[in-house]
Amino acid sequence: MDDLALIIEDDEDLSIIFAEAVRNAGYQVEMIRDGQSAQKRLKEANPDLIILDMHLPHVSGPDLFNQIQEDKRMKDCIVVIATADARMGDAYTTKADFVLIKPISYVQLRDLTARLKNNSEDAY
Amino acid sequence: MNLYQQLRAITERFLEVSTSDPDDARRGRITNIILGVLGLISVSGVITTVLLTIIGVLSLNDAPAIFLSSLATGFGAVIIYLINRYRSGVIASTLLILLTMAAMSFADTPENLIGRSLFLFIFPPIFASVLLGSRATFPFFILASIQLVIISVVAGLPPYEPIFAILTFLLVAFISWLSSRGLEQALTDLRGINANLDQLVVERTQALAEALTRERIEAGRGQAILNSIADGVIVFDLNGRAIQVNPSLTQLIETPAVDILGSTMAQISSSQALNAANQKTLSGLLSEPGEQLTSQRIEWGRKTLSVSSAQVLDSENSLIGTVAVFRDYTQEAEVERMKNTFLGIVSHELRTPLNAILGYAEMFKEGVYGIVNSSQIKSSARIMANTQRLLGIVNDLLDHTRMEAGKVTIQMRSFRLRELVENVDALLDKPAREKGLKLISELDNTLPETIIGDPARLQQVMVNLVNNAIKYTDKGSVRVQAYEIDKRHWGISVTDTGHGIPQEKIPAMFEAFRQGDSGSTREAGGFGLGLAIVKQLVELMDGEISVESQVDVGSTFTVIMPLITDS
Repeated sequence: MDDLALIIEDDEDLSIIFAEAVRNAGYQVEMIRDGQSAQKRLKEANPDLIILDMHLPHVSGPDLFNQIQEDKRMKDCIVVIATADARMGDAYTTKADFVLIKPISYVQLRDLTARLKNNSEDAY
Repeated sequence: MNLYQQLRAITERFLEVSTSDPDDARRGRITNIILGVLGLISVSGVITTVLLTIIGVLSLNDAPAIFLSSLATGFGAVIIYLINRYRSGVIASTLLILLTMAAMSFADTPENLIGRSLFLFIFPPIFASVLLGSRATFPFFILASIQLVIISVVAGLPPYEPIFAILTFLLVAFISWLSSRGLEQALTDLRGINANLDQLVVERTQALAEALTRERIEAGRGQAILNSIADGVIVFDLNGRAIQVNPSLTQLIETPAVDILGSTMAQISSSQALNAANQKTLSGLLSEPGEQLTSQRIEWGRKTLSVSSAQVLDSENSLIGTVAVFRDYTQEAEVERMKNTFLGIVSHELRTPLNAILGYAEMFKEGVYGIVNSSQIKSSARIMANTQRLLGIVNDLLDHTRMEAGKVTIQMRSFRLRELVENVDALLDKPAREKGLKLISELDNTLPETIIGDPARLQQVMVNLVNNAIKYTDKGSVRVQAYEIDKRHWGISVTDTGHGIPQEKIPAMFEAFRQGDSGSTREAGGFGLGLAIVKQLVELMDGEISVESQVDVGSTFTVIMPLITDS
């Protein structure tokens, strides 16, 4: 089965671009557009990769991040934070696996996630 | 009033002499005392004569003479008293002494006057010195001497008979003159001192009155100015208690003056439920008046106030209090807040679609939507480059807004200088090479390996300067140098071989929305915000930025930063 990637991003165009990049890297992609839905989905899904926007409606990115951190099922899940706020990014450099500051290039995200996919395959 | 006091008053009224000269008054009083005694003697003389005659001790032959002479003495005393009181003290005293001298001539037989009653003639000069002053002593001594000589002749003795007595009297007259003169001198001195004191009192009183008037006028003028200005003013004394407020202040903080006067700033602000941060700002402002060059903003209830303070000095430059000036900044603050919110939203809303444009162009270029030919690749690269440029402008605008709003903070930490220089080189080496320029990065080995600073902000400054240098240079190189200046400062310089900046354009270079040469705006693009942001960032980090430039030779931007190390 393909590795699952969740794209949690409220902007339609950005989620299409991120999804395309991650799909091209070899993941099975699921797009979530608001915090509340993300909160629900994260309780049951078992993703290998999460692209997390910090500025979301209903439930904030940091809250979702904490939820992921606390959930033991997702301890191996790689979290890539995507934020426009450089200071917010700075605050998560040590906590998250990767922090990307918007604008995020399609090629940049595709290459990064492709590398992550290869690494995870190498591990098996 | 008891009997003693009544007697005293009567006596005082009897002795009183009408003259403005205190010396004359003193002498006049003595004359009156003598006349009073004389009057009593004459009254008792009359009474005694009558009584002695009635009981038969005095014969009727002798009684009329004694009676008349007593009466005459009394009459004379009254006349002289009246002269002394209403005419002239000098005439009265002279008359008294002359009459005494005349009486003395008949007090005894001429022989006895030269003999046993000789002592009587000592009195005229003494009397004169007391009653008429020292200047009259010797004339009356001479008069008395002449009188003695005449009496001596009348007594059938040689005129020089009383010569030894006269010489003795001269000595007495001299002593009398000396004491009288001494007294007069002492009184004159005393009056001089008194007059000086009086003058001094008058002068002091006048000066005090003038000062009070002046102060009242000035205070009135100051209060009038205070009352008419729109800013709220409180004056505190050295103990920090409010001693003066103006109407604008009471309106501004919606508190009556009586509740403010006598209170400290802490009491005033705590009664208004100011939050701790605002109270701290206020107390800091007042404890160091004039230290803060710019005014501070505080939230006071629903209002935003701009507060500044200054020391109040008196004319001798010593501190007498503190003045705090409050200005209503509510509207300006609201406009500023709206402007910042607006710019923040606009910038965020601009960035997201720009990111999308960038992403779609990239995907198109990468062939996500099918095979692309070379001109399609070129076009999408152009779309991406222009979008990047637009993003750069939006980022600058956002940075500038954040900076203006004071939202940019400096986060100091230990970092490796080499990493900073290498990061900048890695980021900009490609754009430099694409323009055919050489990017040279040099790190001075004398600098410590790690220093304290905000590497993110420093990188932003360097990237901005190097980007600019690349933008305005067509051929040659861009050189980045980091070096030690002295033990407390280090510097970054960015030198290019580009267009250069005309001298007259340099002063405006670091202002927002300006560029060195309007011609190159079109050529190189940009919004003129980059250098303004760089300057703001450098100053936030307590550094300084300067530029040296020569047209067609190149420019050097130099940033000087405080050197802080771990140790």
